[in-house]
Amino acid sequence: MLVVGFFSWWYGVGYKERFLLVRERLASTLDYFSIGLLLKTLFAPYKQISAGKVRGPLPVILRAWVDRSISRIIGAIVRIIVLVMGIIVITAVIAIGIITLLLWAIVPLAPLAGLLLYMWGWVPAWS
Amino acid sequence: MGASMELNYRSLRSEKARFGKYIGGIVNQLLKVLAIIMIVGGFVMLFTGISIGWFVIGLAAIPAAITEWYDGELRQLRPLKNPKSIDDMLEGDILARLPAKPTPKNIATQVSSVPSGIFYAVRFGLTSRLLQDISSDDPQRTVYIWERAESLRQKLGKSDINAGMVIYSLLADFESHELLLAQLNIDLDDIEHGILWQYHLKSLIKSHDKPRRTGGIARDWSFGYIPLLTRFGQNISESLARGGHLNVSLDSRKESVNQLIDTFGSGGRQNAALVGAAGTGKSTVVYAFANKLLDAKSSIPSNLKFRQVFILDAASLIAAAPGRGELENLIMQVLSEAHSAKNIIICLDNAEMFFSEGVGTVDLTSVLVPILEAGNLRMILTLDEQRLLQIGQRNPQLMNALNRINIPPATRDETLSVLQDQLIMLEFKRKVTYTYQSLLESIRLSERYVHDVAQPGRALKLLEASAGYAESGLVTINSVQQAIEKTLDVKVSVASEASDRDKLLNLEQLIHERMINQTRAVQVVSDALRRARAGVRNQDRPIGTFLFLGPTGVGKTELAKALADVYFGGEASMVRLDLNEYVQNEDVSRLIADGANDPSSLTAQVMKQPFSVVLLDEIEKAHPNVLTALLQVLDEGILRDEKNREVSFRDAIVICTSNAGADRIRELVMRGQQPAQFEDQFIDELISSNQFKLEFINRFDEVVTFTPLTKADLLKVVDLMIAGVNKTLSVQKIKVEVASDAKEILVERGYDPRLGARPLRRVIQKAVENVVAKAVLAGQTGAGGTVQISATQVESILGTVEAANEIMKDTAMQ
Repeated sequence: MLVVGFFSWWYGVGYKERFLLVRERLASTLDYFSIGLLLKTLFAPYKQISAGKVRGPLPVILRAWVDRSISRIIGAIVRIIVLVMGIIVITAVIAIGIITLLLWAIVPLAPLAGLLLYMWGWVPAWS
Repeated sequence: MGASMELNYRSLRSEKARFGKYIGGIVNQLLKVLAIIMIVGGFVMLFTGISIGWFVIGLAAIPAAITEWYDGELRQLRPLKNPKSIDDMLEGDILARLPAKPTPKNIATQVSSVPSGIFYAVRFGLTSRLLQDISSDDPQRTVYIWERAESLRQKLGKSDINAGMVIYSLLADFESHELLLAQLNIDLDDIEHGILWQYHLKSLIKSHDKPRRTGGIARDWSFGYIPLLTRFGQNISESLARGGHLNVSLDSRKESVNQLIDTFGSGGRQNAALVGAAGTGKSTVVYAFANKLLDAKSSIPSNLKFRQVFILDAASLIAAAPGRGELENLIMQVLSEAHSAKNIIICLDNAEMFFSEGVGTVDLTSVLVPILEAGNLRMILTLDEQRLLQIGQRNPQLMNALNRINIPPATRDETLSVLQDQLIMLEFKRKVTYTYQSLLESIRLSERYVHDVAQPGRALKLLEASAGYAESGLVTINSVQQAIEKTLDVKVSVASEASDRDKLLNLEQLIHERMINQTRAVQVVSDALRRARAGVRNQDRPIGTFLFLGPTGVGKTELAKALADVYFGGEASMVRLDLNEYVQNEDVSRLIADGANDPSSLTAQVMKQPFSVVLLDEIEKAHPNVLTALLQVLDEGILRDEKNREVSFRDAIVICTSNAGADRIRELVMRGQQPAQFEDQFIDELISSNQFKLEFINRFDEVVTFTPLTKADLLKVVDLMIAGVNKTLSVQKIKVEVASDAKEILVERGYDPRLGARPLRRVIQKAVENVVAKAVLAGQTGAGGTVQISATQVESILGTVEAANEIMKDTAMQ
């Protein structure tokens, strides 16, 4: 009866929880790299530098506009770099997650697979 | 159909529970190590060309899968959604340990050995031995245990039956459980609270273990630099993100936090004033609010998400800008930095410091009010109600500008849940464990003795102090009582020490060692004190309230002094007020003055020394309004001082004395009547002659008429006084002996029906103390010597009766 209990948990609640764990790791990575925030504020002035409204003659306004645009461009560059790094890490997390879920499915079959490989007698050549 | 109350020992869940027990702990660790060794070993074999390595790696999946199973399911077996029998709901740890046909005693043994059962042993004193002793050996009773636990589970709306519910049921099955629990100062309702508390603790730990989403590395990139704020403020959001505060999501303050979110989430003026007395938890609300803003998962308006709360540090601001006008400039810079950054909420904790001039405080009204009125910069102010009123009187526009959120003192139940929440950090910091009873006791005693802060702060303060009195790391009722007794010098516990009990039982005898006669008065005060220390008195009144009537010099004041000396730790612990100094209506304010301005006021003295004898002399001379103010003391044991703080007289004996009708007492005694015979009539006369009002007299526990002293009594008084002289001389090892006939002369010359025993003091000073002083100075006596005083000496000193009368005249004038 315990064996049945084990298999029903492994492929039931256990599998579901493993999936939730993978999803949680992905969400944490997304949060760590602030992906949503970076996309939302991609062109916002970096650290509010030159972000304030300026009143005055046209040259002053133009100068402020240029300053603000530079701040936005710097912000966008920094954010894009982080976004790219984030996307690489997130892809890795997704890949590891998928592998984990696949491995989870075959772990109970591992003793049998090992036995078959042993009986086949093949070993990888290392050199 | 409900679940069966029979335990199915062979059910899958029961099997799982037992298997989980076998492979838990060290076995689980060994299995993990084994799996790693097998995988590594397998690969080594394959590397060296041995194909059995495949099989070893494959076999490693078995211990690895078992440990996964244990961690994922068996360690904390979940209850089934549709339970068919009791084992489908019973906590896994308990189920694993039960035999096939458990008796209540088996259940008691096992339930108290699991971690969740140990909680009740530590927190409530419900030890394994106690549970076993009260549990039956009859297997027929087991079904009742399960039934009661199951109905409690349903009542509490939980999905499993945990150790607490089983313990509750075992206790309820014991016939004398009320008596038993009363000895532990709890009842079954408290166990029910304990179960909820345990669930709450579990959920707190679970929520703390959950990963938090706080915005990530780029969270603040769209917001401005804040160098000044970082220098002059404390970023509480940052300390929360670093996990500096375990729990700030207090259930009892959720409503206030939501009000803050509404205020800042809406388009109105962006400020909020948290108004409440010190200790109500205003700062905690700010922390809980900051915590909520930081949580990506919380349901709050997006314009509040990840906003950071900074508490401005008034002291460092003042220190950095000492010159005139500098501070205003600095504040403006700090606030405009916060405004430009766009993600800052400024908190002025104890905001009164920014609105009044004084030591460590500064009046920045002219700078802050326009900002608050404009409502562009988000600000939170925490303020004491009284201070807000004072500031509001000077600046009505400030009152109009603020969005007020009241933080009232917590109720008893709220205080209990706050204590239970805060306990986790407190126990961690102080390395102690608090019992449930200690929480209740800290609430009860703090209500009564801690005045400077409101609930839950006052109970928390006491609980913290109690940690210093823990016994073997456990904070019990006794620790809390000791904390109060040692810090306030009161006695709150039931007398348990043998010496204390002996003193109480022989109180009359001890008092009579320093005063003569007045047995009834001595009896009533002794009885009152015994009732108090045995815990059988009314807790909402003073220990005793007495009105002593009688002529001068019969021992009214002396009894109060004797009582203070014998039981209250010395005459210094007597609070004495001569009410002939309170004859004007304005004197009422002197009676209740704030201790900071007048430390001699009645309220200030009693606040400082709640366990005392309060002696109010010559009460008949006080202004009627003074007496009216005292009515509440006599009735409820409470007097409010001018700051409206409740001062408790509930640990004091209040004694009022009066000479009113002294001549009448003497007259009645001269006629041969005893006070017991004329007391009622005499009191009626006092009321009808308007010397006292009926409602005033009725407030006292006892009105005692003191008998004028007879000559026989006075002889005993002489003995007491000479014993006093000898006590003083004992330092020099000198004794004085007065002959019996000499004592009679002393009494004869020192007695006056109008002044009682009072002239005796001067007579003895003249005839005894002066003689001894001369003998010592002349070298006629020294260490080990005895000064003998005869009748002849006394007569020669006191001279004629006329000379003695002179002494009496002097005494009367004094």
